[in-house]
Amino acid sequence: MYVVLVYDVEQERVGKVCQFLRRYLHWVQNSAFEGELSEAQLERVKLGLKGLIDEERDSIYLYILRDARWMRKEVIGRIKGDTESVI
Amino acid sequence: MARSYYIFQSGRLRRKGNTLYLEGADSARPSGNEEVDGAVVESADAKEMVLQDGEGSSPADALEHETRGESESMEYEDEDSFAQVSPTDSPQRRIIPIEDVAEIFLFGEITLNTKLLNFFAQKAIPVHVFNYYGFYSGSYYPRETNVSGHLLVKQVEHYTDMAKRLRIAREFARGAYHHLHRNLLYYRNRGKALEDAVCALEQEGEEIERADSIAALMGAEGRMREVYYRAFNEILNLETPFLKRVKRPPDNLINALISFGNSLLYAAVLSQIYRTPLNPTISYLHEPGTRRFSLALDIAEIFKPMIVDKMIFALINRQMIGDDDLIPEVGFAALKERARKVVVQEFEGRLQTTVKHRRLGRHVSYRGFIRLECYKLVRHLLGIEPYQALRAWW
Repeated sequence: MYVVLVYDVEQERVGKVCQFLRRYLHWVQNSAFEGELSEAQLERVKLGLKGLIDEERDSIYLYILRDARWMRKEVIGRIKGDTESVI
Repeated sequence: MARSYYIFQSGRLRRKGNTLYLEGADSARPSGNEEVDGAVVESADAKEMVLQDGEGSSPADALEHETRGESESMEYEDEDSFAQVSPTDSPQRRIIPIEDVAEIFLFGEITLNTKLLNFFAQKAIPVHVFNYYGFYSGSYYPRETNVSGHLLVKQVEHYTDMAKRLRIAREFARGAYHHLHRNLLYYRNRGKALEDAVCALEQEGEEIERADSIAALMGAEGRMREVYYRAFNEILNLETPFLKRVKRPPDNLINALISFGNSLLYAAVLSQIYRTPLNPTISYLHEPGTRRFSLALDIAEIFKPMIVDKMIFALINRQMIGDDDLIPEVGFAALKERARKVVVQEFEGRLQTTVKHRRLGRHVSYRGFIRLECYKLVRHLLGIEPYQALRAWW
């Protein structure tokens, strides 16, 4: 499945969250990641994030698409982080 | 699903923050940033990166960074905002999510260290290395995680017993024949004059059934390919005719494409074998030599026509690649980097094409079919079900 994840986390935890997400997803711009995950990987990401954030104060949204094929992605302005696998 | 990564950029690949960082050594990649940006990045360490972001983000952000610049003691927070700031902002740096990596192909000049190799081993990621001219150099094949002594014994048993070996080898040859034949039929049905070639190929196909030794089988296989390569002139819109297959090194564009495509496929097959308990060095059709993973050659034989050759037809006939894509100065045919990228994109696209599998009832990619081929071989070796090579039905 294809996941778009955006987070709003307080500054003291933001680094941890960002670093953790980099292991699973592609950074696209500040506080936004996206990428292909398996069901198990998604659970791992969610569990990891729960351990890092303060659920009272921080918030993380996940937009989950069953297949990237049904996603239409448009970008206005600069492409900050790309997800290509041919580098 | 983890993906395959193809790295053409030169630079340093390193493990950092439990993921992969590709840091460019050259600024060959055109930078979309302002020059000031680039200058800052040159001398980059964490703090300066923060400043760099300040310029692109909101005033509030900039303020934050300023305060931080003043107080040296707030080292920890510094690192935090560095993280938020997105290092990918700089064109020289790319972060690759390690969990998204299934295998890596290195084409550029990459520096790496054992820490990274250990990381790859831990994550079971094979790395394939290609040299300056795009020829396959070798693979980093991490410690096997799926091992089975029982299967290894069976693999050897099927190799040493000539009747058993011939049976598997013949099936590989049949699979190869089926796809060669299929390609020719495809183009014959589209009005190419391939009647003679199809006839000749069919004759050689019968040889496969008659062959009573590995040598005879390999001979039939070789002649099959010869007939098939001659048909290339009809299939492709070429200015100069394609005379024969020349390798080590290839002598013209078509040969260069075949060599490059085959080595990509070979590496891709090896990665799939790595995911199964099969030992990649014990092969049946090819002679298992030392220093090479010959089982990958056996399995690749089935897929070459359907993946690599079809790709070449498309690349040439759609004029995505032409004679000016060869490096002019060298004495043999080597593809330019641009051409290599085009090939790799096309190749990866093909491996990701899916077809609905009749027995599994779900869509399987071509890469998945390679894996299934390995599993079928395992089933044969364990005596569960006789091996039948893939015969594309679609």
